[in-house]
Amino acid sequence: MRRRSSLPVTFLVPTLAILLVLSMVPTLYAIVIALQNRELSAPGYTWVWFSNFADLFVDRRFLNAVWVSVKWEIVTVVATMVVAIGLGVLMFEVAAPRLRNIYCLLFIIPVLLPRVSAAFVWKFAYHPLYGIATYPYRLITGGLIFDPLSKASTALFAVASVDVWQWGLFFAVIVLKLLETLPPQPIEAARLDHAKRWQIHAYVTLPMLKAPLISLMFVKMIESLRSFDLIYVMTRGGPGVATETLDMYAFSQGFIESGKVSYASAMAVLMMIATVITFTFLWKRVQA
Amino acid sequence: MKSNRLAAGLGAAFVLTASVSTAALAQAPVCSAPVKVLAQPRDGLTLLEDSKDEFKKLSGAGFQIDYLNENDRRAKSRADASTVGNYNVYYVDEANVALFASSGWIAPLADYYPAEYDFADFDPGRQKVATYDGKVWFAPLTGGGDLMVYRKDVLEAAGIQPPKTLDELIADVAKLNDPDKGMYGIALRGARGSGANVWRWMPFFKAYGGKWFDGDKPAFNSDAAVKATETYLKLFKDSAPGTQTGSWDESTGAFLSGQVAILVESTPLSGMAVDPKTSQVVGKVGFLPPPAPLPGGGYGHGLAIGTKANADDASKKCAGLFIAWATSKENEKRRLDAHQFGELNRTSILSSKEFADIYGADLGQALADTGKVTAVNFWQDPRWPDLGDRWGIILEELVTGTRTDIKGGLSELESYANELVKKK
Repeated sequence: MRRRSSLPVTFLVPTLAILLVLSMVPTLYAIVIALQNRELSAPGYTWVWFSNFADLFVDRRFLNAVWVSVKWEIVTVVATMVVAIGLGVLMFEVAAPRLRNIYCLLFIIPVLLPRVSAAFVWKFAYHPLYGIATYPYRLITGGLIFDPLSKASTALFAVASVDVWQWGLFFAVIVLKLLETLPPQPIEAARLDHAKRWQIHAYVTLPMLKAPLISLMFVKMIESLRSFDLIYVMTRGGPGVATETLDMYAFSQGFIESGKVSYASAMAVLMMIATVITFTFLWKRVQA
Repeated sequence: MKSNRLAAGLGAAFVLTASVSTAALAQAPVCSAPVKVLAQPRDGLTLLEDSKDEFKKLSGAGFQIDYLNENDRRAKSRADASTVGNYNVYYVDEANVALFASSGWIAPLADYYPAEYDFADFDPGRQKVATYDGKVWFAPLTGGGDLMVYRKDVLEAAGIQPPKTLDELIADVAKLNDPDKGMYGIALRGARGSGANVWRWMPFFKAYGGKWFDGDKPAFNSDAAVKATETYLKLFKDSAPGTQTGSWDESTGAFLSGQVAILVESTPLSGMAVDPKTSQVVGKVGFLPPPAPLPGGGYGHGLAIGTKANADDASKKCAGLFIAWATSKENEKRRLDAHQFGELNRTSILSSKEFADIYGADLGQALADTGKVTAVNFWQDPRWPDLGDRWGIILEELVTGTRTDIKGGLSELESYANELVKKK
């Protein structure tokens, strides 16, 4: 009996201890630094407590970065899920099993590309003079120039399209595989009741896949928070600050422009708090 | 007698051993581990990697260069030098040498640069840029000022003489801009950064009489800065596509591919423009100093000794030897032979017959003339990258139209500058 009760402890304690050290030490250190005024170029520091946080709320670039991050999160998650479900259902309905496998192989390739490589490829594809993505526009308009990465109104969507290209196609494969695992009886029953194809998916298959689709959405939400490399390579947060997300602004303040590591840490701490609250709230809503 | 012989034999053996060990000591390798270098891509450094064995023979160890583009190199070297100090040698430039030197992240070079490598042979302008607070901190890999590079054929076809003044330049750029024929008047830099858009904007600022500080008081929020920005934005209307969020690569790339009539850029462009490997406009290009009163932007990049990774004197000597070898006359001659114009810094090479044979008299004359108007346009202070990068973002916003109030942007920068001054 005693043996049985000690087994979970034996397995849990070391792993939890490692996890605690790995997650808590940097987090606590970030919180401590956020309360100081450390800068890379100066060895000394003083405690400024919540002054960095107060400064953030009157910093126009920080407020802009919050808004850009929210937009980025919404655009990339919604577009990825729409593309994934749309393409997944389309393949399920239209393609023969053999063709589906070929599509799956093709759709997985973009996500296998390192993010930085994908960003460079698309940055060139969006070049106003030579880019393949801007070529149709030049062709239709007789040579007019379209530079999506240098316009504030289009830059975020242009970068988001690369994110969706990588993850939307990959998720489409997962959605297809999920559809293939569903039991055929409910679908057959719906067909016998003369349900149309879209009705079968809207009212039968997709509701049956609610739990895995929500999990996919959460995965994408977390992944979208880590899009620093993609945005950094394609726009560096520009034009101006139009695509400057919170992580990019924090990096910029910490290492590129000012060396203000405490100020950057304050941003990171706020991001962490906001993320924890948002995800907890959403998770509870979904559970309910 | 026997003991005398023994003593003599022992004495001889001692002398022999002593001289052998002295010789061994004299040839002891300077480096005990490979030299780690953080740099930005340069043709000269790529060429240097072909001679790795030569350095190994000289020092006893090899070297490894990690490359990052300019902005990333600046960010990474700053982060590395101030924290872990992984690199023995940093690539520094005119914009961050003051910060690196005043923060103690790099060591004075002269103390570890072997005399036989002749530092005094470097172009005096580049030596000046490498000097901060009376000490030399880096050995130049590249440097110079600005040149106006223009398409002779395009200007001739339009019946336009190369502009000699800024007003003429503004008028000519508008006339030469013909997007329907794939020709753009000019190519500027729009991408944020003290070494990117701000670098190209500063000559206009200086030409209109602007200055950064008056003592500790910011003086840049002036009519000169407004006029300079208005001129820059006006010229940007005729700048090649892609340059609005681009920098050196995009603007010079547009010119070298034959889409730009005139541009004022850093001197290495002139070498690229006459090289068939990099240019589609060879034989059609003319060179002149920047139109008056634009001053050239004096700059210099080079290699410096990191202090954290080189904690003791022996490591610093090793790093110093690497820098001296990398920037030696022999290596610079190899760069000349490979037609790497932008990588030449020594007067003995720039004034050589081989240089004149390769690049011609016109370019030599233009370089000599532009030297007279080359100036330091930036604020020579450790806080310059901070201030310059902040202005770079505001300027990028103005260039791309995400903000339109020039005065508002300058006032925002002034508030930021006041904070920087307070912190000193």
